[in-house]
Amino acid sequence: MVEIDPNKLEPGRTSVDHGLTARIKRSDPWRSAFRHAQIDTPRGRALQSFSNVFLHVYPVKIPKRVLNLRYSLRLGFIAAVLFGILLVTGIYLMFVYTPSVGSAYGDMQNLKTGVGFGQLIRNVHRWSAHLMVLVVALHLVRVFYAGAYKKPREFNWVIGVMLLLITLGFSFTGYLLPWDQLAYWAVTVGTNLVHYVPLVGGRLQDLLIGGPQVGQNTLLRFYALHVAVLPMLLALMLTVHIWRVRKDGFAVERTSVGTFSEAATERPAGAAPAAESMALAAPELYGGRVRLLGVVDRESITEAARPVDDTVFTWPHLLVRHVVVALGTAAVVLGLAVLFSAPLRGLANPNLTPEPAKAPWYFAGLQELLSRFDPLVAGILLPGGAVLVLLLLPYIDRNPDTRASHRKVAIALFSLLLAIAVILTVIGTFFRGPGWQFIAPWTHSYIEF
Amino acid sequence: MDDKSRRDFLRGGWKLGGALLIGAAGYTGYEALRPLASGAGGAKITVGKTSSFATDTNTYVSAGRMYIVNANDYLFALSQKCPHLGCHVPYCESSGRFECPCHGSIYDLAGEYITGPAPRGMDRYEVTLEGDNVVVDTSVLKAGPARGAKTFLTPPKGPSCIGKA
Ligand code: HEM
Ligand code: FES
Repeated sequence: MVEIDPNKLEPGRTSVDHGLTARIKRSDPWRSAFRHAQIDTPRGRALQSFSNVFLHVYPVKIPKRVLNLRYSLRLGFIAAVLFGILLVTGIYLMFVYTPSVGSAYGDMQNLKTGVGFGQLIRNVHRWSAHLMVLVVALHLVRVFYAGAYKKPREFNWVIGVMLLLITLGFSFTGYLLPWDQLAYWAVTVGTNLVHYVPLVGGRLQDLLIGGPQVGQNTLLRFYALHVAVLPMLLALMLTVHIWRVRKDGFAVERTSVGTFSEAATERPAGAAPAAESMALAAPELYGGRVRLLGVVDRESITEAARPVDDTVFTWPHLLVRHVVVALGTAAVVLGLAVLFSAPLRGLANPNLTPEPAKAPWYFAGLQELLSRFDPLVAGILLPGGAVLVLLLLPYIDRNPDTRASHRKVAIALFSLLLAIAVILTVIGTFFRGPGWQFIAPWTHSYIEF
Repeated sequence: MDDKSRRDFLRGGWKLGGALLIGAAGYTGYEALRPLASGAGGAKITVGKTSSFATDTNTYVSAGRMYIVNANDYLFALSQKCPHLGCHVPYCESSGRFECPCHGSIYDLAGEYITGPAPRGMDRYEVTLEGDNVVVDTSVLKAGPARGAKTFLTPPKGPSCIGKA
């Protein structure tokens, strides 16, 4: 009879389960991999986090409010899930796809006719890509309105903007790969834009497309960027991004001051009478520096001063929500993929521009600008300026207050920019037809995906 | 060498090493991406006899990806590539003009700018006559005439293909 360590038993259990699974789970090999049983006590829940490397992206405990959907809308998380889906489907596609002018288009057709679930995989990849652009953009908007880019999170906002740019880079490079008319001309127009960059434009365009026009060289380098360079960059930046979210704490708490750095000093009535009375007794001495644990340096207060335990264990509370959101995301993408197929036009033909030649929706606003202004202004200066303003936003807006009523100017300006971007995109996507003429979207639709 | 200068040397040294490494990586990247000089393109093409290009007509020459245009008895070799953002500019039979479907730039028969976001008229290759033969030198693409040049402007023959006036 084997000795059984009572610690290995779940609480409340007095007898030993002799079933096969129970025995396996008690065995040394099993325990070497999974160090302890899932025990439903506070200690057990904390152990889940401690003993699992993957759960280290989460804090062990989180403020209850993080569980609230309204806090983040889960947009950042959804973006990460979509990236995961793109990674998996992208690798499937790599087994089938050759980045060569002679065979890329055929591979696309072969996915449809010759590979089981091939078209479905392609559809999932395509729709996840679109959703990812959308979700990352919405994530940025949400973070802005929450004021969550303020100190100490300035740099994480900068990283976030870079993540958005990398995501757009993914879409742009991926768009060429099917080598159909849509791909060829969208990339022709996009890379010709680079030509208008002052001074180095011509050189830059050469480096990007590797020849006098979009061709085999372009396809190969876009492929390398798409499946190697950008994924590595994104993974790297995403790691830093998430790590910083974790280290900076969740930007949920608000105090009367409305800043995050002081956030955790918020406390419900009744807490810390000792500190209160000390501060009252000798305000010059302790004023403003007195917290629950006595006199501590302001900066180091955040963790120590959380007064009552308003936190819950990440495992399972946050985890189960994340799993549900991930499954939901996957379901949406799969649903789209079953219902709608990724487009595939005719084989790329350098001698025939299709009519209309429209960019996918997220570049349609840019295309709208291009049809109105000089390419240097519309294609380089305006978008470049917008990106620059976004990157520098936390350093321009130094107001530490996160309450909407105290940052009216910032909100008004950002909303104006956002409105312009949305309106341009809507016009470009829905109201433009052949020859970039104005059309009523209810008569014809020329949306490109 | 005292301790401090040794430390300073090492401090500077690894930075220099790092900079060199980044420089080398950058240059290697540049070399990998730089387009190789291609032998193709740049040949002189004989496109036909003068008689085959009647007044106020255009002929597409796929070998040079260009149009040979006779506008008012001047011969031009117009690159098919839109000077705006590189779309192929088709000729619109009904209006008698070149009309770009991408952002709506329109050029007259001689490739001169009429309207749209393009910065100039259609780019051209040099045309020479060798006896009776029309020869186009595709090695040099010359930027098209400035927007204001309207030497060959004639009213449109008919409706535009891309719905513009
Ligand atoms: C790191 C993971 C990824 C890999 C390995 C990968 C791989 C591929 C491959 C092999 C193709 C060509 C097959 C095809 O065109 O369907 C492709 C296409 C494409 N990819 Fe990705 N990809 C990845 C991530 C992404 C991301 C993050 C985005 C955008 C946000 C994206 C957007 C696209 C688009 C728009 C296409 C064209 C899709 C189509 O025509 O069906 N990809 N990808
Ligand atoms: S590419 Fe011809 S108008 Fe833009």
